[in-house]
Amino acid sequence: MIAIALGILLLAQNYTAPRTPDGQPDLQGIWQVRNTASWDLQDHTGGYKIPAGLGVVEGGEIPYLPSALAQKKKNFENRLTEDPVEKCYIAGVPRTMYLPFPFQILQTPDAVVIASEYVHTWRWIPITPLARYEGYESWLGDPRGHWEGNTLVVESVGFNDQTWFDHVGNFHSDALKLIERFTRTAPDTLTYEVTVEDPKVFSRPWKMRMPIYQHKDMTRVLEDECYLNAEDAGKPIRGGHPEDRGTPAAPQKER
Amino acid sequence: MTARVACLTVLLLALPTFLTSQSYSPKMTSDGKPSLEGFWNNQAGSAPWDIEPHPAAFTVPAGTGIIVEPSDKKIPYKPEALAKRNDLRDNHIFDDPQGHCAPSGIPRQTYTPFGFQIVQPRGAVVILYEAEHAYRVIRTDGSGHVPKNIKLWQGDSIGHWEGNTLVVDSTNFNGRTWLDMAGNFTTDSLHVVERYTPVDQNTIQYEATMEDPTIYTKPWKMTFALRRNTQQGYYILEFACHEGERDLQHYTEDTGKTGK
Repeated sequence: MIAIALGILLLAQNYTAPRTPDGQPDLQGIWQVRNTASWDLQDHTGGYKIPAGLGVVEGGEIPYLPSALAQKKKNFENRLTEDPVEKCYIAGVPRTMYLPFPFQILQTPDAVVIASEYVHTWRWIPITPLARYEGYESWLGDPRGHWEGNTLVVESVGFNDQTWFDHVGNFHSDALKLIERFTRTAPDTLTYEVTVEDPKVFSRPWKMRMPIYQHKDMTRVLEDECYLNAEDAGKPIRGGHPEDRGTPAAPQKER
Repeated sequence: MTARVACLTVLLLALPTFLTSQSYSPKMTSDGKPSLEGFWNNQAGSAPWDIEPHPAAFTVPAGTGIIVEPSDKKIPYKPEALAKRNDLRDNHIFDDPQGHCAPSGIPRQTYTPFGFQIVQPRGAVVILYEAEHAYRVIRTDGSGHVPKNIKLWQGDSIGHWEGNTLVVDSTNFNGRTWLDMAGNFTTDSLHVVERYTPVDQNTIQYEATMEDPTIYTKPWKMTFALRRNTQQGYYILEFACHEGERDLQHYTEDTGKTGK
């Protein structure tokens, strides 16, 4: 038993990710977590529409400033309507990486693309230098990437304050800065680590870490058109004129 | 003599095509495919409003259309499909899925008036669109289409190279997308074949052949150019649609009408 465990350990430590033809660690593939981080980043028992799960936060605690705790509490209380994902909004980063939906990583010598099934979002991560657009505010941030050994390191700023880290209301401000690290640590596993900095909300930077697993039975990511599905179900959640609510997107009623 | 004239005619007809498609040698990707990479804008004029020839109207620029086959530049609808198009155009314009932040579908995504980017990783050609933050991963890895019961707004696209031309075959559409703001529509039987041919460093000639025997009497074709965005430091910024969508509200406030 010990020998087997040791063997697995050695195997894992000796693992080196395959390389692309141009020599970068090869992260291409379709990936998805098997955890409950999108519901709650921290250790939690099950709840209404919340599957129980182990936390992904290093050290367990999220270091909120005292002034930010009230907002966290308010978010939690209103989570069934105010969670941006309940509204089918873009999930932001890092949450898009640990949604219960697959995403695809595609690589060229100059860039990495991450394309998600949930509301068809993409992240284009240039590996080459590119000046940022100052004052940019966005749901998915403005990423820049580089390689450190076997690891893709992605630094992002330019976020708005509209996304949450999870369903229970862990949140950030527009001062959010993320450093994500993607490392292929086994043939079918990425280790995903994120350092979160936001001096308006947290007293210090903090980290989350989790494995993300490769899908081997999919040729492509499909579509999850959350808000259109809600319209189809007669539960429109968009804005717009009240009289337009319930108007199906589809012109073809016979379908 | 006749044979020689025929031969010469063929040669003369073939020559411009040959010159356009072959005289330019595009840069190659690291795995030896013609590179279409970069930022692009369509040169489709007023096609977003109406892909057929149309006069100007309030907030709608006139246009000569982008249809090249058939020669009358109109979609060869079956009579009942034409009636449906006219009804959509005249009575249901608020149902345009693009106004609901739906993915535009193919080929409308290409002539929607926003920029897009082509990225070429191994085994795929990826198109990242600014409009509705949509994307397509066109597989060139030899995998076939997904099972036919899987219906998608953007369809399922597989590609291959014919010389310098990327040929993209798309099926599995959900039949819910429109082709413009004039009610031209699609069904889930739609089959689209697109051709992306780089003709000089900054131009791709785009062509899409549309086939759907349930509503069209014959296949038809559109074409227009894609022009490289050469602005220094340009990259695509995010276009969140549903998250801040108020277009329908504006429509109704402006016109006093509702969608139904």
